[in-house]
Amino acid sequence: MSDGRDTRVTRSISGGSVREAELGTTPDAAWPARRARAESPFAQGVRRLRRSATALIGAVIVALLLVVALFADVLAPQSPIASDQAHTFERPSRAYPFGTDQLGRDMLSRVIHGSRISLAIGVSSVLLALFVGVPFGMIAGYYGGRVDSLIMRVMDLILAFPIYLLAIILMVIFAPTAGIIGTIKVTGAIAIVRIPIYARLVRGSVLSIKEKEYIEACRAVGVRDPWILLRHVLPNCLAPIIVTTTLGIATSIIVEATLSFLGLGTQPPTPSWGWDLKANVAFIQSNPWISLFPGLAIFVTVLGFNLFGDGLRDALDPRLK
Amino acid sequence: MRVYILRRLLQIIPTVLMITLVVFVMMRSIPGDPVVALLGDAYTEENAIKVRHEYGLDRPILVQYVIWLGKLVQGDWGASILSGRPVLKDVLARLPVTLELIALSMVVALAIAIPAAIIGALRQNTWADYAATSIAMFGVSVPEFFLGVLLLLVFSVGLGGLLPSSGWVYLPGTCQTVVCAAGLWGNTQHVLMPAVALGVGRAALLTRLLRASMLEVIRTEYVTTARAKGLGERPVVLKHALKNALIPTVTVMGLQVGFLIGGAIVVETLFAMPGLGTFGIDAIIARDYQQVQGFALVTALAFVVINLIVDLTYTFLDPRIRYA
Amino acid sequence: MRTRRYLPTLGSALIALAALLAMLPMAAEGQAPKRGGILKVAYGNEILGMDFYTTPGYEMAWVAMNVGCGLVSITPEGKFIPDAAESWQASPDGLLFTFKLKKNVLFHDGSKVDAAAVKFTFDFVLDPANRSNMRQFLGAVHSVEVVDPLTVQIRLKQPYAFLMHVLAVYRMGMIIISPAVTQKYSPEDRRAGKPEALVGCGPFKLVEWAKGTHLVMDRFDKYFEPGLPYVDRVVIRTIKDPVTQMAAFKAGEIDFIADLSADHVDTMRAQSPRAQVMSGKETTPMVAMMKVTVPADGKPMSKDRAPHPIFSDIRVRKAVACYGMDRKEIVKIAYKGAATPWAGIIPPGTMDTVDVNHVCPYDPAKAKALLAEAGWGPQKPLTFELMTNTEKSVFNVIATVIKEQMARIGVTANIKLVDKTTWLVTSTQDGVFDMFVEDLASLLTVDQNSYLSASTAAWNHSRHTDTKIDDFYARYAREMDPAKRKAIAKEFQEYSVDKLYWNTISGSPFYQVAQPWMKDYVYQAEFKVVYKKVWLDK
Repeated sequence: MSDGRDTRVTRSISGGSVREAELGTTPDAAWPARRARAESPFAQGVRRLRRSATALIGAVIVALLLVVALFADVLAPQSPIASDQAHTFERPSRAYPFGTDQLGRDMLSRVIHGSRISLAIGVSSVLLALFVGVPFGMIAGYYGGRVDSLIMRVMDLILAFPIYLLAIILMVIFAPTAGIIGTIKVTGAIAIVRIPIYARLVRGSVLSIKEKEYIEACRAVGVRDPWILLRHVLPNCLAPIIVTTTLGIATSIIVEATLSFLGLGTQPPTPSWGWDLKANVAFIQSNPWISLFPGLAIFVTVLGFNLFGDGLRDALDPRLK
Repeated sequence: MRVYILRRLLQIIPTVLMITLVVFVMMRSIPGDPVVALLGDAYTEENAIKVRHEYGLDRPILVQYVIWLGKLVQGDWGASILSGRPVLKDVLARLPVTLELIALSMVVALAIAIPAAIIGALRQNTWADYAATSIAMFGVSVPEFFLGVLLLLVFSVGLGGLLPSSGWVYLPGTCQTVVCAAGLWGNTQHVLMPAVALGVGRAALLTRLLRASMLEVIRTEYVTTARAKGLGERPVVLKHALKNALIPTVTVMGLQVGFLIGGAIVVETLFAMPGLGTFGIDAIIARDYQQVQGFALVTALAFVVINLIVDLTYTFLDPRIRYA
Repeated sequence: MRTRRYLPTLGSALIALAALLAMLPMAAEGQAPKRGGILKVAYGNEILGMDFYTTPGYEMAWVAMNVGCGLVSITPEGKFIPDAAESWQASPDGLLFTFKLKKNVLFHDGSKVDAAAVKFTFDFVLDPANRSNMRQFLGAVHSVEVVDPLTVQIRLKQPYAFLMHVLAVYRMGMIIISPAVTQKYSPEDRRAGKPEALVGCGPFKLVEWAKGTHLVMDRFDKYFEPGLPYVDRVVIRTIKDPVTQMAAFKAGEIDFIADLSADHVDTMRAQSPRAQVMSGKETTPMVAMMKVTVPADGKPMSKDRAPHPIFSDIRVRKAVACYGMDRKEIVKIAYKGAATPWAGIIPPGTMDTVDVNHVCPYDPAKAKALLAEAGWGPQKPLTFELMTNTEKSVFNVIATVIKEQMARIGVTANIKLVDKTTWLVTSTQDGVFDMFVEDLASLLTVDQNSYLSASTAAWNHSRHTDTKIDDFYARYAREMDPAKRKAIAKEFQEYSVDKLYWNTISGSPFYQVAQPWMKDYVYQAEFKVVYKKVWLDK
């Protein structure tokens, strides 16, 4: 599982070969000047992306997931929460392609609706971390000094927690609930754990271009700081942020599933892949399908995001190829 | 160098203290305290007040923290409110289990990552490369507990119980209880499935990292020079590329160990292992404050100490790096 | 013609064979128990501590009843049998109980179990400073006196029909503690499981308790029943996950699962067809308890009570919990029919229980009508929170079915899943809740339930204030005539289901699973999990 944690590398060692092997992109990536006509890095990136088979597969999976999640109500043949006591523990059949669980609920519908929760939590937790972490990272990197020190101390503190310890304690404090509130709580808990990743990432990028001449020039001319941050600093961090976000979604989905496994994630009857996996695993001997399908759903989704994120990374930083 | 180590060791202290303080405060924000569970059937308001006073639970949070800290510097980690058992003793009994699990998980991860990375670097962009990275990618997309369950089903329930489903057999010498099940073979049987379940997920990142670093190094000058000297390709790759690729790998491994310390919770729960993971989660759920503090302290310490070791290892791996 | 000569031989051979075959079943029955071996037991929950008299939870009690001995014990049929006491008698007025102790009962440290030790035990339990969880059951005890070294007398304040039950089973049996050892060691030593501090007179002595790893007990060679126990050692491990439990069982790593969760019984039977799956009539109720009063000033456990906004109205209670819940459907889905749908406060397997299911037939139309009468309906929709905890997966299944059933009568139930500790705190500390689903304590007698449902009980979850309930319990406990007691019990259960302060859904079945080679274990629900007569046929 890769995430921005690897930018820690630059903190312990100043310069040297280690930095080059750093995973995220460095802002002054030297785009190879192969073409006679200058092509924007973005277009080059897209071109590379299209060439990569794995990235395409990942993109297809992600797109499929989005479609399923958006149109869950239409796609799901039955209600995911309506129980039918006459048809409990059904094996996969025409009527119930994924079988039914202990309460007679159609697993196919549950898996389809579960995509909403997984996607919602995965995406929103990462976005939340992003919207909180990036500004902090920019401020820390740009202004430096005590502000930097303070912010990074807090980030270090969060990072020093073993991820699950923090998530577990947070969820026990928040008290797992069902419905929207429950989803928000899980999102918050996972987001808190991921904020430092973005902060560090952005701070690293900011530090490296802060001293550049044209930034000095901007300042000299009188351009205001926030504008500088937005217009010049941010675009250069964009690539690693995108990559980290995509991969972060994958991680978040797994963390949510694990929290559900421990009984601390989204609560029933909200359909959740992690919960279904955990609840049905005990019956795996008599009816393996009902836990297998949610598990596969998690696997395929996470795989999709990982492949896509990987492809993005390769496309945006050709130096790694 | 020695100054640097000393400085880092001193820096550990405030970090660890902050973590324990945060955990302390967080635990007391959770509704419920151990007193209800402690008194059980004998619960009455007056008993509860008496017991809370006995254990100092009615004092301000910061005062309680300072008291805990005071005992800590004297080497007393306190005793569990619920069971009365000394925390340090239990932590030490559980530590070897989790340490072994983590160490072996990393071995499993490296066992997958190193060959995959070498294949990937040497046969870049061929089907072999894609296959190798794909395998690693699959591993990272499966939640540990699902993999654990699958392993359990295949090797424990199926295949005539090839591997034991739960419990623990200690490595000779590490057992702290009076009645000990110890033995190398038994230990291997018990640690294999959990280590694989936990380690497979780590392999992807390591594969990518190693591969990227190796590719990086392959292009640099001194490898070209080595080739020019007439050395075969394989020794060149293995000796120089791998060695240099180890640096970022070691860093990331250090971070992954931090993740593993907490992530072992799930695997340990599934395989009913007497390690720190189960210790921690049982303590959190039971609101056993002292045990949670012990758990937080040992994991925070482990995390920062491992990072320090990782940083120090750089000097051995890359002679170009020196510390002020 | 030649065959005729062989006929007699053949005939006698057949007769001999028949005789031999006839003897085989007798031989199997009279199979002599084999001595030796290690019994490996799995618990589904952690042992919380080892102090016999203050630690809550079944798991500790199941250890205590093997490490300790009491005055009397009880058979599954309800007959009292001697334990450390060889005989006993009650005075005609029922106020004086005299127990004669066996001569050869010893504590694990070799000291004698005598009347002084018994008196010490009672004094210890009755002393409020020791915060013993048995104290509440001995409310009727006035004093305990030593008559001679082997005779002890218990004097009661008023007639109490259940003293023997208290000694045999409440909190799983009152075990005798050693005065010397108890005074020498502290409560922390006992709780932490120090073997020297936990000396009893039972068939096994505690060797070690490593929390989270194992608990080990060895045979006590000087146990007063000669020849017992058969096994050398018992090792108890906690395996929480049922998949792991069943895998360990199938692989033969454990011999006995002390408490298999009901939803996994079918899987267990399928995986291990030769396993002995043991169960019986349910003595534990599965309840959907409604809160009836709330603290008037907002302070938990306040004496000033205000009505609960929803469930203080009996019409709402009846609509939701009596006519609005299809108990048969719940049992079918949650237990696959392997439990008894039940509306009465006393579980189906408990002494003097009465079937009052006819008082609460499933009738959604009637439920809706009652709700309308109470002012709830489409203009004022009823919504409440249904709390349950994560200790057993079946709680959640039941809560989900109840939610469905509520929807049918136009009521919205929102499920709130919390961990066990939070549930315990909320339900017993007068916390905020509307209804919860849980299974409570296993009951041998109606009397035992007074600690859970009397208006003054600390564990009166619903916080009802009806003292008539308390009167029933008091009359029941004082009535010495079993027939009259039964009548009181019947009246009580009918009254209780009519008022519905306590809402039972079904019995909660209790399952234990043993390997085919584990012989002579006697199933006695949660009351007795003892290994002294168990032997391993290996």
